[in-house]
Amino acid sequence: MTDEIIIALPKGRILKEALPVLARVGITPEPAFSDENSRALKFSTNVPGIAVIRVRAFDVATFVAHGAAQLGIAGNDVLMEFDFSEIYAPVDLCIGRCRLSVAEPAEQAANDDPRSWSHVRIATKYPNITRQHFAKRGVQAECVKLNGAMELAPLLGLSSRIVDLVSTGVTLRENGLAEVEVITEISSRLIVNRAAFKTNPAVVPLVEKFRRAVADAAA
Amino acid sequence: MNEVTAGLLPEGLRDRLPPQAEAAAALLRGVLDTVASHGYERVQPPLVEYEESLTGRVGAESGANAKLLRFVDPVTQRTLALRPDITGQAGRIAATRLAHYARPLRLSYGGPVLRVKGTQLNPEREMIQAGAELIGSDGVAAVTEVLLLAVEALQSAGLETLSVDVTLPSFVGALAAGPWPVAADKIEAVHTLLDGKDVAGLRAAGASHYEPLIAASGPAEAALAALRALHLGPAFEARLADVADVVAALPADVRVTLDPTERHGFGFQSWIGFAIYAPGVRGEVGRGGAYAITHPDGHRETAVGFSLYVDALVDAGLGLSAARRILLPVGTSRADAAKLRAAGWSTVAALTDNADPHAFRCTHRWNGVEAVAIK
Repeated sequence: MTDEIIIALPKGRILKEALPVLARVGITPEPAFSDENSRALKFSTNVPGIAVIRVRAFDVATFVAHGAAQLGIAGNDVLMEFDFSEIYAPVDLCIGRCRLSVAEPAEQAANDDPRSWSHVRIATKYPNITRQHFAKRGVQAECVKLNGAMELAPLLGLSSRIVDLVSTGVTLRENGLAEVEVITEISSRLIVNRAAFKTNPAVVPLVEKFRRAVADAAA
Repeated sequence: MNEVTAGLLPEGLRDRLPPQAEAAAALLRGVLDTVASHGYERVQPPLVEYEESLTGRVGAESGANAKLLRFVDPVTQRTLALRPDITGQAGRIAATRLAHYARPLRLSYGGPVLRVKGTQLNPEREMIQAGAELIGSDGVAAVTEVLLLAVEALQSAGLETLSVDVTLPSFVGALAAGPWPVAADKIEAVHTLLDGKDVAGLRAAGASHYEPLIAASGPAEAALAALRALHLGPAFEARLADVADVVAALPADVRVTLDPTERHGFGFQSWIGFAIYAPGVRGEVGRGGAYAITHPDGHRETAVGFSLYVDALVDAGLGLSAARRILLPVGTSRADAAKLRAAGWSTVAALTDNADPHAFRCTHRWNGVEAVAIK
């Protein structure tokens, strides 16, 4: 079936907020989708011809960029990190809001003068965004790529700073870190594969439904 | 670095083996035959040129510079580069050695190109490009001719279901300079956001008035209607009418979409561009549009062309013809062998007795009287 539409959804944080958006568009995944213990990877929905997959947030972008999934939901952190030219982000779903920030130990923050930096060492899941962000200010960022538990890096001396997602700031505070700079605000976007957008006649109307669902929710 | 393992090729390069190598040659031949039948004459520029010739003229495609594999010519000590694209070379020929030929000048080309780096989606660095350029006009008639030619070439290569995405490369720039002003230092950022159809980004950049363009892209008729409804003024409406004429000329079995903001690789094109998609092929199978060639005296000449990469067609499994290979036992007469070849067989002469037809990928064996199919 070449015309089946697959929507890639990110595991974790955003998924809970994404399902109501899908429901407003009229798409409800089969019950097994919400079963944490289910080992299935691809799930049908109430709409014939539309299936959903559940993958890691970073992989949503990869699946969509390569056209393995036609649509997906991803934060702009993921989009900025990969900068795939084959992805469109035509609808801001206004969910999964947080920010991508630089943080460092609170006592260091108190005595630090960012104007004198020429080189910083940063632990992050987002080496590309981090490098670009600091390069724009003329600072070379040496990135240590971690996949989680970023807050440990300054505590254990792996790096003096981190770049990570911050929503409430509680995790940072509990680990003695202070948010010193916001790189960008984050929200989740509906993303679409470029070729699918052009060639699959069902894609554009579906994007339009998402656009309307978000506008109605905001109104 | 350890020794290179026998057979290991550099990243992005590959060997083509039977039968794909034959398929690639057949597809290239097919495309060039189609364009030749429409009066496009073949040119064959060299694989290597002076770096500045490849980056000037039409090479103004954004990032063309970064695509070049360069080296210093040991003879002249000047920097040479391998061509990443033949379109620019055809333009150079039209502007120099064939500048005195009557216009419109119709040229075609086909051959390998090399880029220094693949993309995330297509890691290949060497590809076979084929294309046709019509130099001296970029009007509706010229664009229609080239677009229909591209469609015909792809259909005869075996792609039956095609989808054409028409783009308006200079549209956003013209809007920004006219009815929908954008500060000069913000234009590039707005372009980049539009490339990604990034609605949230546009809002954050204070360019939310461009959002209707993103909503407008889609099936051509609806998109044209949506763009007309924006009432952008006579110059834009005349342009849209031209686009509508081009769209109307496409055969009914081709799906047409319109995208007013698309810029992917259309950096050097002017009022109209197009990308052609087909099921089973990842990304575009062909692309083209209107552009301008800069002559040595600085004047610019309009042109329109299309090009495609044969590799995408080979990867989609096209160009393979059913093998008709026949094993000729030792002692088969030359006359019999010639007759079989004349009848369309590829003859494989056995050099030893009891040669196994399977081992030579033969479908038949000659028994002295007739071709016997091999099970």
